[in-house]
Amino acid sequence: MNLTNVRLILAREVRDQLRDRRTLFMIFVLPILLYPLLGTAYFQMIQFRTQNAMTVLVVGGGQLVSAPTPLFQGPQFCQQLFADGSRGANLLTLEIAPEGQFANDTCNDQAAEIGRLVPKKYDAALVFPPDFAQRLAAYRTAIRDAAGKPPAAGSTSQTSSGKNPEIPRPKIIYTTVNERSLLACTRLTAVLDRWTEEVGKTNLVAGGMPAEAVRPFAVESANLAGQSASKSVNIWSRILPVLLLLWAMTGAFYPAVDLCAGEKERGTLETLLSSPAERSEIVVGKLLTIMVFSMVTAALNIVSVGITGSLIFRQMENFGGPPPLAVLWLTLAVVPVAALFSALCLALAAFARSTKEGQYYLMPLMMLSLPMAVLPMSPGVELTLGNSLIPISGLVLLLKTLLEGSYMQALQYLPVVLAVTLAACWLSVRWAVEQFNKESVIFRESERFAVGLWLRHLMRDREPTPSVAEGLFCGAMILVLSFVFRSSVAPPSGFEGFARVTLVLQLAVILTPALLMAVMLTSSPRQTLLLRLPRWKMIPAAAVLALAMHPFIIGLNQLVMYLYPIAPEMKRLVDDLQTKFASADLGLLILCVAVVPAVCEELAFRGFILSGCRSLGNNRRAIVVSAILFGVTHGFLQQSINAGLLGLVLGYLAVKSGSLLPGIVFHFLHNSMTVLSAKITPELIERIPGLGLLVQPTAEGPAYQWPVYLFGGVTALALLGWFTWFPEARSAEELLQEAFEHTADDGLSAANV
Amino acid sequence: MIEVQGLTKHYTDLRRGRFVALDGLSFRALSGQIYGLLGPNGAGKTTALRILSTVLRPTLGTARVNGCDVVRQPSQVRRQIGFISANTGIYDRMTAWEMVEYFGRLHGLPKAELAERMELLFERLKMNDIRDLLGAKMSTGMRQKVSIARAIVHDPPVLIFDEATAGLDVLVARALLSRVAELRESGKCIIFSTHIMREAEKLCDRVAIMHRGQILAEGTLDELRREHSEQDLEELFFQLISRHEQDHVPAVQQETL
Repeated sequence: MNLTNVRLILAREVRDQLRDRRTLFMIFVLPILLYPLLGTAYFQMIQFRTQNAMTVLVVGGGQLVSAPTPLFQGPQFCQQLFADGSRGANLLTLEIAPEGQFANDTCNDQAAEIGRLVPKKYDAALVFPPDFAQRLAAYRTAIRDAAGKPPAAGSTSQTSSGKNPEIPRPKIIYTTVNERSLLACTRLTAVLDRWTEEVGKTNLVAGGMPAEAVRPFAVESANLAGQSASKSVNIWSRILPVLLLLWAMTGAFYPAVDLCAGEKERGTLETLLSSPAERSEIVVGKLLTIMVFSMVTAALNIVSVGITGSLIFRQMENFGGPPPLAVLWLTLAVVPVAALFSALCLALAAFARSTKEGQYYLMPLMMLSLPMAVLPMSPGVELTLGNSLIPISGLVLLLKTLLEGSYMQALQYLPVVLAVTLAACWLSVRWAVEQFNKESVIFRESERFAVGLWLRHLMRDREPTPSVAEGLFCGAMILVLSFVFRSSVAPPSGFEGFARVTLVLQLAVILTPALLMAVMLTSSPRQTLLLRLPRWKMIPAAAVLALAMHPFIIGLNQLVMYLYPIAPEMKRLVDDLQTKFASADLGLLILCVAVVPAVCEELAFRGFILSGCRSLGNNRRAIVVSAILFGVTHGFLQQSINAGLLGLVLGYLAVKSGSLLPGIVFHFLHNSMTVLSAKITPELIERIPGLGLLVQPTAEGPAYQWPVYLFGGVTALALLGWFTWFPEARSAEELLQEAFEHTADDGLSAANV
Repeated sequence: MIEVQGLTKHYTDLRRGRFVALDGLSFRALSGQIYGLLGPNGAGKTTALRILSTVLRPTLGTARVNGCDVVRQPSQVRRQIGFISANTGIYDRMTAWEMVEYFGRLHGLPKAELAERMELLFERLKMNDIRDLLGAKMSTGMRQKVSIARAIVHDPPVLIFDEATAGLDVLVARALLSRVAELRESGKCIIFSTHIMREAEKLCDRVAIMHRGQILAEGTLDELRREHSEQDLEELFFQLISRHEQDHVPAVQQETL
């Protein structure tokens, strides 16, 4: 790679972007203006929230005007009942309804009548039952009478007469739909809590007890971090990482679209491609440009939000600016974050035909990235080994942990997060480079799209095997259909119900779309679905491989469960399923769980979808993509990870054998073993001689003995090694791709392809 | 010199499905000559020229530019060519000077030598008045001038003009043609694609008439006139295309169905 060319391209692209007013606005102007404006708006809203008085209608309030513990003071609630005294009282104005205004027969009618006025006329209503004051007085009298007498045996709260006079409850009527009404309810509840406490005190005093008996002691707390620091750190450690990611992505996206799709649109890309600069140099030059803008955007936004936040929060009690070390951690994090999003945006933008099309890709990128950035911010989510393995989430959690000052915890997972982030960056950069090397991507021209034309194209230009888009579409369709099916069908109660649901899911949702698409969209469904006999030795080899790998798959399952612990509700469902399996007829169980899925899923995922993915021109990548789709269609995350890894082995078998049969045998045996392991009980291990040498009972169910792991591992490795000896039947695109690479490497002309 | 042998390129698109953009194209263009590629829109001229500039890869066949193979030695090929297309490929947010300098630097010219050469070039092409003008502010004629300056700044032995006069007014087109003729005089090998017969008649030493990715006739203008007993090039072009259309359409349709 010629670094001078990279530097030249970088300098040109940066200068080009700096001359673009839209980019300048996004990168420099927006961060400087946005946060101060948001801050001003926030202050406005706070003023609205705190300075607007709420009006409360008090029904039955007349009876309390002369109560011993006053609730009202003239036309207001008593100032003593508010933490902030007269200011609070002024913000909660009241209107006492005249006696008899809401004198309906039933409580429900009265509530409905008052409800019609909330929140239209009043923000909330406080309703005292008609005999409330009278009952309260009776209670006080009972307390006073009981004073000095010993309490009845077994009684803790009743008066000596044996029964407390019951006091009807006052009711607050409000609506959560209306913000003001909700706020009025909050204020009113606080006032009534204090008033209730005051009533309690009055009662105690009436009974000759000290008023302090209501609250004999107070609890104190000591915050080691200092109240101000801990509050600030907590908030900033949640805000800053997400902002960093969001702006690194936004800052990368617009320059990427302009540098790739924009260049295509303006016709300058072709000129650059015909210059001596290599494509890799062009990609790196553009990538570095995008990274520069991504980093600057993120940095400016963080600085702006930090300064604005500090200024705003300084005026608030117990709050401060971001912790000083945040600058260091965020500066270190911005490089990998910008690299990751720059490469992703570059690859997406290279695919787009025009800037307009490029901008459409922002939303899917946001939709995929934002949950990964925001979910770690949920309460209770911490940096663990499992979380640190998730690309964006791990980085956000690491940043959060660093900002909180938990350096030892952060250091523990730093290598994992870094490794995952760098791997994601590397994959994204490779994807971007590949996009630039594909002439079908670089020279995608705007075509008139019409459904009729497209359908005719699908039927007319059928290839023996499906295209990548057709393969992926089939996967997406299965995913959507299974989601809809699972959501619409009620969880089956017995095994028969489970069997029925499984059969419908496998046959209608997984198999049918794949078969229909193979027949309609390809000229050779047989070749697509790999319906041919493999070398006969491969079938027993696949069977032995399934048995040999089973201990590892079980171990892997346990590791996944350890890294990503299963939710209690899901655990209940899984246990419930195991119970159903244990009581089911073995033949039917094997049919539903092993035979049907082995056939249907192999036809769909290793048949149609893998064949489609092989049009990528790289069979390893095709296996990975089909395995991911296979994993995703499974019910929950832990199961998906296992299924995805299993999909890799099944895809490898399909590619190496050129047939679906070894995969079906492997899949069938793997599922059968899983089902049968549920049937192995400690009693069975004791009853069958020799079984104890293979498995041992544990609290989580039967587990393999270590010699089985050892033997299985050696056998599995030997078999996988044996499969590598067989040359795989390559797809047309794989042959073409290899020929290109071959000619590029060895100097043979592509003319002979 | 450019040597093309059996050049073939297949594409797939919604409208035509799988189709052959180039079908065994073979020709040879020599230094000091202008080789014209004549053909209607969609004949495959741009595809052929994109392959020659290594932007596209051929499905089959070979192409050599000054002895360098476009597939095996793309970098060497790109150092020896200057590519000028109809849309000029001018950056909107760069001045004429910056643009020519950028491509000169990408071709590895040392700064001092490049500056000297650019001064001469701007003088010769009368571009000094647009030296600091941004691409977005330039007229089509100005853009085409800058495009030529960009393509010849490194003094390449081979120049590729892809419908370079498209969209130009008569005066600018005439000036461009005279520049191309001047470049021939300096010993360059020039490929000039066009669908305007008068340009080919005025400029080209040899022409190839293309249709549906094939060369229907090839030679000097005199050879073509003699061979097809037709003096008017436009008429000759029309006859060849019509005949080819009649002969090959059923076969092409059969292929795509």
